[in-house]
Amino acid sequence: MPVRFFIALLITVVTLSVLYACSSSNYFPAQHPSDAGLSRTRPICVDCHEARSDKLAFADFNHTPTFATTHRSIASRSAQVCNLCHQQSFCSDCHATDIELKPSLKNQSDTFRGMPHRGDYQSRHRIDGRVDPTSCYRCHGNPKTAQTCRPCHG
Amino acid sequence: MNRWRLTSIGCALCVTATLLLAPPLLAAATPIDIQSSTILRFFQRDTLNKTDDNVAPVYEYLQIDTGHANNKGLSFHFYGWGRTDLADGDYYQDNSTAELLYGYLEYTRPFSNLNLRLGRQQVVAGIANDSIDGLSLFSDLGPNFSLSAYGGLPVALSSQQGRSGDHIYGGRFSHHLGSRYDLGLSYQQLSNDGDKEDQQWGIDTAFALPGGVNFSGRSSYNLESDGWGEHFYELQARLGDFSLRPFFEKYDYRDYFASGTKTPNPFAILTQSNEGLTAYGTDILWNKLANWDIGAKIKHFAYRVNDDTATYYAGFLTWHGKELTQVGGELGTMQGDAVKNNYLLSRLFFYWDRPGERQGSFISGDLLYALYDEDIYGEDSSFFASLGAGQRFLKDRLELKLSGDYSVDPNFDSDVRGMLTMNYRFGL
Repeated sequence: MPVRFFIALLITVVTLSVLYACSSSNYFPAQHPSDAGLSRTRPICVDCHEARSDKLAFADFNHTPTFATTHRSIASRSAQVCNLCHQQSFCSDCHATDIELKPSLKNQSDTFRGMPHRGDYQSRHRIDGRVDPTSCYRCHGNPKTAQTCRPCHG
Repeated sequence: MNRWRLTSIGCALCVTATLLLAPPLLAAATPIDIQSSTILRFFQRDTLNKTDDNVAPVYEYLQIDTGHANNKGLSFHFYGWGRTDLADGDYYQDNSTAELLYGYLEYTRPFSNLNLRLGRQQVVAGIANDSIDGLSLFSDLGPNFSLSAYGGLPVALSSQQGRSGDHIYGGRFSHHLGSRYDLGLSYQQLSNDGDKEDQQWGIDTAFALPGGVNFSGRSSYNLESDGWGEHFYELQARLGDFSLRPFFEKYDYRDYFASGTKTPNPFAILTQSNEGLTAYGTDILWNKLANWDIGAKIKHFAYRVNDDTATYYAGFLTWHGKELTQVGGELGTMQGDAVKNNYLLSRLFFYWDRPGERQGSFISGDLLYALYDEDIYGEDSSFFASLGAGQRFLKDRLELKLSGDYSVDPNFDSDVRGMLTMNYRFGL
């Protein structure tokens, strides 16, 4: 076992060293400038940025009325861009293993946010689940996140 | 790999990272940002022992962030919640009372995109969107390549016969040409109690096509069941004042719902069905009027084994006023071959920011009505209403929000719920 341990350690040291040496200088800032006032409006990136610069396709990140349900593709490729404006907790209110309060309930009075499962979703989910169970699986597909499913589905 | 070994490797990684990154760790005094959200809810439920039993949970969501938000370097991030029931009933007897959502040490190298995280964290990279206890790293490798890698214990399996023998690891390697093109390959392996549960690889891509058209999507291949689980591809285009997002999705249930013992029901059952789903449709937005969101959605579903179809149609309209003020609505319907899947859904909402020019206040409301073609528990409709109000104090550090909900639906004859939220932000 010590041999495997030191091999793992060596690989880690080499990988980190390579990454440290190769990390590009074409970097994103730590945070979007706070004076843009983004927290009080729904951000449309192209209001200030061009649709596509050499570095980033800003138009892809426009928070359109359907962005809450369509951001999966862009977020899986560009999580570091999301981090410019959103703290991890913003994402964790939906994407975590055990949040108990569904997002639309924890933020009940934020009616302007297009959160899923508003109102009586307990009744509606039996239809949506039959029609497209893949949409349920993305968030409820493991033993911890399926705790809400267990009382009825076993 | 046993737990001791994983712990040893984790400690070794921590020491290694610290040694590598020692100079940046010697930063100046670090600011601490603490955000507390205390939520009191009240409602009544029938439990195994009582009817109309009072339930009054109090939640505390606590978030702690240290480090300079505007600068890169070393930082620490924590977010978790705990709950107690003031009514002291048995409604929550089968639920956990607290959960750490994340708690990690992060280092981001100044003037680069190198990012390291150690601890409990959410990993998003290609096919991965998982919570792990471990190490993750991301970096650009020169101007055209990027690498994400992660490894540790999967939080999702922590409730399954302990954590011994559990592990998750994977990564994403991508090639990109600025914002013109991005092609990523990702891999993930998940083991529970020493048994391999899930092993997938994925491909994701994004292209900028002529005429301002973007093409993006992803596919995933299940190496355990030896088949493609998912294909999801979309175009984003602008035609005059209209924005379009046509998409295509294809799923094979046997390969998409990982078939290991970790897969909970009802998904585990679906892996036996040999069913496949193909869905396609589009979103369309009309961008002519600056203060209005006007759009429509259509999504068509077709099944391989059941050989039937369903289609969801919806239209929405929202007017935007000052800051977050909005009034809007949505009307949608699911129509298909199976009557039991057909319903009509309508929603009206408003959010009045700073009513009467009162700084830091809001009033909001929400109405939902659903009409089902086939009764659910003898009822053919659901009605939900919510009214909320809030006020911020102390230069926006303190926010109080009160909301009340009422619903009549197949599960509840008449349900009234209340919620009081107190958010406080400490900046030290």
